[in-house]
Amino acid sequence: MRGAIITMKSKSNSLLTLPAIVSVAVVTQVLFLATIFLSFIKWIVIRPDLGKSFAGIKNYVWIFKAPETYQIIGNTILITALSLTLCLILGFCFSLLLNRRFPLRKLCRMFVLIPFFMTPAVIGIIWKTLLLHPSFGITGYISQIYNSAPIDFFGQHAFISIIILIVWQWTPFFVLIILAGLQGVNPEMIESAQIDGASSIRILFQIKIPALRYHIQVATMLGMIFILKVFGLIYVTTRGGPGFTTTNLPYQVFKISYYKWDIGQAASYATLMVAMSLIIIMVMFNFIQKQIKRLEI
Amino acid sequence: MIWTTSKKAGDSMITFLTYVFCLAWVFPVYYMVITSFKVEESVIPPSLFINKFTLDNYAIIFDKTIFSHIVNSVTVTVISVLLCLAIGLPAAYRIVFGKMKNPANLYFWFISTQLLPPCAVLVPAFLIMRWMNLLDTRTGLILIYVGIHTPLIVWMVTSFFKDIPIEILEAADIDGCSKWNAFLKIIFPLSKPGIISSALLTFVFIWNEFFFAVNLSAIKANTLPVYMASFMTQEGLFWAKLSAISTITILIPVIFGIISQKALVEGLTMGAVKG
Repeated sequence: MRGAIITMKSKSNSLLTLPAIVSVAVVTQVLFLATIFLSFIKWIVIRPDLGKSFAGIKNYVWIFKAPETYQIIGNTILITALSLTLCLILGFCFSLLLNRRFPLRKLCRMFVLIPFFMTPAVIGIIWKTLLLHPSFGITGYISQIYNSAPIDFFGQHAFISIIILIVWQWTPFFVLIILAGLQGVNPEMIESAQIDGASSIRILFQIKIPALRYHIQVATMLGMIFILKVFGLIYVTTRGGPGFTTTNLPYQVFKISYYKWDIGQAASYATLMVAMSLIIIMVMFNFIQKQIKRLEI
Repeated sequence: MIWTTSKKAGDSMITFLTYVFCLAWVFPVYYMVITSFKVEESVIPPSLFINKFTLDNYAIIFDKTIFSHIVNSVTVTVISVLLCLAIGLPAAYRIVFGKMKNPANLYFWFISTQLLPPCAVLVPAFLIMRWMNLLDTRTGLILIYVGIHTPLIVWMVTSFFKDIPIEILEAADIDGCSKWNAFLKIIFPLSKPGIISSALLTFVFIWNEFFFAVNLSAIKANTLPVYMASFMTQEGLFWAKLSAISTITILIPVIFGIISQKALVEGLTMGAVKG
């Protein structure tokens, strides 16, 4: 190792980056190319008698003919958009509250952050059982006290419940970034604005929010990327149901892979998912490039 | 005078509201933890305090099965994090200090791989693992996790390396210090807190990873989150025990996450935001 590093001084540095590039490229890019290839193949794992054959664009024709596909694409976008909006609003409110000086401030911050570091499996399970269960959860108990019919969260209101869970987990991430931004706002600017008689609402909209533009962008972009991939929460609570109401594209890829064992169709859905994310990545690309230029690594 | 008192009252109102909101946010976690110390019969009707404290739930769930899943989670996560560090640190080093022509391109390439949804590689990953007999093994999971999470290390550590003033390294170079020594004696000590935080956060992400864990393991290699999910469907309404397993599952990542939250902000926002 030592020898290698000293010789590379005279030759090249590429040995340093090679292992990382190879392993990342194999797992992400080579495998994704394989997915694209498989999306043109007809292969059902549990029906070896049918064999494997080239299917052309038949898999894509199939998924675009299936009416649920449009619902699933809609779900993916709607879940992400609604959760992001709520996370942003709540994250902003929490950040403003937590940015003040008050006793036990650090403890409060910690309380808000905890859900972000929990695995989705636990989040889904405790909300589904302890909190929102129609007969034995806290909400069920409350409706019993008031003699009203318990709300069937993961049945009738599955879509909203999934969003509640995502928002609970991801708002802390927005708090982390926006709060860090608020702490960077120049206090002298706010003081002088106060002396000039500006109201706190005016200070919020004319000083704080413009100063936080970068942070809000970062939080929104990263949040979007992560929320698009949501799987665990859906898997442990609604299993994509009832019907297709809470199925998003990642869950659909899983379902086609492990219930239908149809390699080609699952790969087609996966490719569709990437195509959709790609549009978002393009937006991010411009954004990150700008930031990199600004920071000059 | 009246103005100041009303302002004070308003201030304490807002503080009070902050307490209410924060407690409401953490309530599910609190309720889960207290339920894990309740006797199974007293879980329903729900109560906000423990009426009869017991450690039985923990004693009962700590059998061989859960122990093997804890071992799975720890081995998979620790080995993956170490491997990510082993290949991610040199890459970050070269991006920052390696005098590359266009380091931003490589840096951005690493970040862009994070945007790929895991489901995009599931099908071939499954087929290859099946072909190599790696399904339901810890090795299989580790191989995937290293490929997926190395960019996170590069992404975060790069921003900590950038904080090191280049003048120190130039001075060391003039004094005849080899690059390897410069790394060990200057770069590593200066960026140690950042590297440790990045490692802890990668630990949290891998520990909590669910998609590949559930799809590429069945029984033997199940990590804790996957075991959790199957426990619910198999065991039904043993909620105190379910809460005990949940508490164990989140304990380490929550502690690590809280320790390293500042690094998350600095790292992911490319150093432009100091937490």
